[in-house]
Amino acid sequence: MRRDDVRFAAAARDDGIRRISRFTWRAGAAGVVCSALIAVAFGHHAAHATRGGGTSGSHAIVVPNQPPAPAHGAGQVTSGAS
Amino acid sequence: MTILSVGTDTFSVFGTTATLLVSDPDWLETARGIADVELAAVDRACSRFRPDSELSRLNAADGAVTSVTDLFADLLEAALRAARLTGGDVDPTCGQALVEIGYDRDFAVLQAAGEPAQQRPRAKTRIPGWRNVRLDRKRRLAQLSDGAQLDLGATAKAWAADRCAELIATQAGSGVLVSLGGDIAVAGPPPADGWRVRVTDDHAAGPQAPGQTVTIRSGGLATSSTTVRTWAVAGRRVHHIIDPATGGPVQSCWRTVSVAAASCVDANTASTAAIIRSAAALPWLRDAGLPARLVREDGSVETTAGWPRDPVPAEEA
Repeated sequence: MRRDDVRFAAAARDDGIRRISRFTWRAGAAGVVCSALIAVAFGHHAAHATRGGGTSGSHAIVVPNQPPAPAHGAGQVTSGAS
Repeated sequence: MTILSVGTDTFSVFGTTATLLVSDPDWLETARGIADVELAAVDRACSRFRPDSELSRLNAADGAVTSVTDLFADLLEAALRAARLTGGDVDPTCGQALVEIGYDRDFAVLQAAGEPAQQRPRAKTRIPGWRNVRLDRKRRLAQLSDGAQLDLGATAKAWAADRCAELIATQAGSGVLVSLGGDIAVAGPPPADGWRVRVTDDHAAGPQAPGQTVTIRSGGLATSSTTVRTWAVAGRRVHHIIDPATGGPVQSCWRTVSVAAASCVDANTASTAAIIRSAAALPWLRDAGLPARLVREDGSVETTAGWPRDPVPAEEA
């Protein structure tokens, strides 16, 4: 009788662990799906925000990838005020 | 140092000169078509001199909420961002101040007429400030308060250059440079040596005007100056860059400032703000890491953040 109790308790423990494990996996999967949805939504927003200047979504004036390089002679175009 | 077979087109737009360079000349006609459509749309949206433009309707709305197109909302958003990023130095609500100093019609007409409508300089106009502009992007509504009158001249041309360059590079797959009155945007693969740009006071002065030649490979380059777009009012020379603090043409220690940035609209925002900030512009540009070339009234030059130093005359030859 005592042995049956022990078996029952062990089975109950195993069942509890399985349930917790299943719940953890489901919660994790739901988190991954939600993250993906949020990433898609913000990605879409960012794509819209960069329409036009390409820096329009930025909260600062954006520096160039590299500064102008020195050159000699005439330019192909002129940058001056108009 | 050879840049082979670049297609070039030059035409008039917004009362100034536009230049289109494409690295694949076969795409020049397509590129011009794209630019024509976009520039016409920008003119319809935000010209201060067209009574049928969205900007004119908003200015005439007397503070009423006005519906706007996505394009106008984009342009207004760019202007408000420029104001925010410069602490209000580049302010789009200077429309009435420009009218007060005689800039009340297209500049080509103003030059041809010789005399502006406003003959006597009035007391300086108070600038209502960019916080009196409301834009609801979602519902596409805009509203001006406190008598604000918009002028998007400080950002619209540069924004349009960015927009055209981006569209042409995407649709044509070609490297492209778009210059709208000296506001330059490039996109797509650049030529091997980059795009060669002569930086000078006046964009119309020609490719060998006094100044400096540099190359750029991406982003934008813009120049602001108090020496161009000037006219006389009651015997006094005035120019078009308004200081929001005074409501009149700015008194700056710089006659010309050129800035390179990740986009033309950012470059133009910084170059205009630098003129207005005067001596304070130098540490501001350095702190921001923005490559710039600043020319004083006496012609002496300062550079920041990796902008190349002017060559000595012997090197130029």
